[in-house]
Amino acid sequence: MSASERPLEMAQKPAEMKPAKPGIDWRGRLLDRAPFLVACLMLALIVGIYGSLQSGVFTLDEINLDTAAAMTLMLAATGQTIVLLRGGIDLSIGGMISLGTVIAATRFTDDPSTVALWTLVILTLGFLIGALNGLLISLLKLQPFLVTLATWSILNGVAMIILPTDGGSIPGWWVGFASAQFVGLTSPVWMLLALLLFWWWFRATGVGLTIQATGSNEKSAFLSGVSITRVNLVTYGLSGLFAAGAALFLVTQTGAGSPTIGKDYILPSVAAAVIGGVSLFGGRGHLAGTLIGAFVLTLIGNLVFVLHVSSYWQPVASGVILLLSVLASSVAEKAARNRVQ
Amino acid sequence: MNAFLARNRLIVLAYAGMVVLLLVTALFSPGFLSVSNMRSTVVLAAFVGIVALGQTFVIIGGGIDLSVPWVLNSAAIIMALLCGGQDLPLVWVMPMLLAGGAFIGLINGIGVAQFGVPPIIMTLATNVILQGLILVLTGGSPTPSAPALIQFLSVGRVGGFPVIALIWLALTLVATLLLSKAAFGRHLYALGTSATVAEFSGVPTARTTILTYVISGLTAAFAGMLLTGYSGQAYLGMGDAYLFTSIAAVAIGGASILGGSGHYLGTVAGAMVLTILTGLLPALNLSSGALLIVYGAVILLTVSIGSETFAGLGGRFRRKEG
Repeated sequence: MSASERPLEMAQKPAEMKPAKPGIDWRGRLLDRAPFLVACLMLALIVGIYGSLQSGVFTLDEINLDTAAAMTLMLAATGQTIVLLRGGIDLSIGGMISLGTVIAATRFTDDPSTVALWTLVILTLGFLIGALNGLLISLLKLQPFLVTLATWSILNGVAMIILPTDGGSIPGWWVGFASAQFVGLTSPVWMLLALLLFWWWFRATGVGLTIQATGSNEKSAFLSGVSITRVNLVTYGLSGLFAAGAALFLVTQTGAGSPTIGKDYILPSVAAAVIGGVSLFGGRGHLAGTLIGAFVLTLIGNLVFVLHVSSYWQPVASGVILLLSVLASSVAEKAARNRVQ
Repeated sequence: MNAFLARNRLIVLAYAGMVVLLLVTALFSPGFLSVSNMRSTVVLAAFVGIVALGQTFVIIGGGIDLSVPWVLNSAAIIMALLCGGQDLPLVWVMPMLLAGGAFIGLINGIGVAQFGVPPIIMTLATNVILQGLILVLTGGSPTPSAPALIQFLSVGRVGGFPVIALIWLALTLVATLLLSKAAFGRHLYALGTSATVAEFSGVPTARTTILTYVISGLTAAFAGMLLTGYSGQAYLGMGDAYLFTSIAAVAIGGASILGGSGHYLGTVAGAMVLTILTGLLPALNLSSGALLIVYGAVILLTVSIGSETFAGLGGRFRRKEG
């Protein structure tokens, strides 16, 4: 059932709408957050099993390590979350991440000012390419899935021309960034906190609210004076910007550029968001859920390792978790719909 | 004739694009139009076309199937393992694997139609689960070579025609009959146009949805076995490219990703366009990166032509036709 069909249903059954009751609807709130709570439960379960099999899980070191391992996915998934809230999808982040890593690997030198310049170039490029996606979607009235599939292919092609095979080099001090510590916490942990801070700002300024409202119901947002073109431009621009950020972080982990690595983040970024309770139909979700989803997907790898089973079970486990989460979401959405009616 | 043109504008354009592309390629590489080269182009296009057959049905119904890469790969690997290079086991292995592909489709369809799981997530989940299971099964090691019979189906010839081209032709006929003549086809277009309206009009929406995913599972598994015959053996990752190409072929063929429009005949042209492009680039001395850029540009171009904005610009033309 697509978002645009919901108002019709409401119009058909006005008699069943209940008057608002005083007090807080705890059951409704719980149902609304069911997907997020399921994600928290999964994370707790995974960390619990992991912690009982491996010593030293509940230490600062482990938090630092796991956050670094999950950060690329988190950055990519933050952009994807914004796009999903808008009711779209961005497959082009795969191309942008690849492009970002190959530019960094071929242009970064030991000179910090060169690195600063190219970092700025990569981030600007990310925003502009994302904004171009948004423009194409709006002006030509195209489907996000196909537009971003096409731009993914194009960006991937450009990345392959810049650097045909994995390689290049990243200056050591940039690689060291991921393990640099401030007040006992490594920079990825600070980035995680910064992402949450960004989200708080994003929601507080109204940009986020406008995007979410448009994803919830494009027609009513338009009728309330929202420029859909501008919303798309900002939404996909931010997604491209975060993909560029993911690329810049990814090179600290790999130490090299890769023209194909980005595709490993396209669907997992969607999966992380969905596991965290973000709705694919737009309008519902929160970054905290996405970040937990990214942790779940990353920690499955650790779990498979300590259980001493073949690492090939990791995709099986993530697929099953994805299915369980999305079933929880669909139950919650159905309940929410019934409540509205 | 005019009404036909107006109704199938995008499909006609896809074929026009294919012919133009053929001529342009022939201009740069004179040997391109030779019989042997055309034959190998059709063979390569057939693999894309067969995978994209199921994808076409799913997309017309308003869904998408991301599980094709590993349904294809699973069928290929399991066939190679069970046959061990012998022809005889194919008698039971082939029907079994087709049923297996259909079964994965059934699971996808039930998840989408009965449990309301978004198609992207449902098929993504089955894809990674299959991927993991196959990796566990093989431990990442290579498989025995393909049986001779399946090699005949993929690279053999009957009276000068590649066998796989004949198979593709037969499948195209079946798909066309299903879409244009059967009640299932009419249900499918209704479902893709609006699931709500279709439901209230008495269309068996759940059954129709499930059937599209079953068809997609079938064609992906079948293509996997044929592809094993073509490359001589099954290997891990052989299906990965077919996710992009199957969706691209459907899009270039003029179907809307939102569902409700398109036809397999368009997808056939889409599969040909994608394959001719891969032949064009060596002629122009371009890298594989350039091929990806061209793919992206072609998809953008074709979906732009199909969009409302362009349809508005072409309004005068269409009114004259109608």
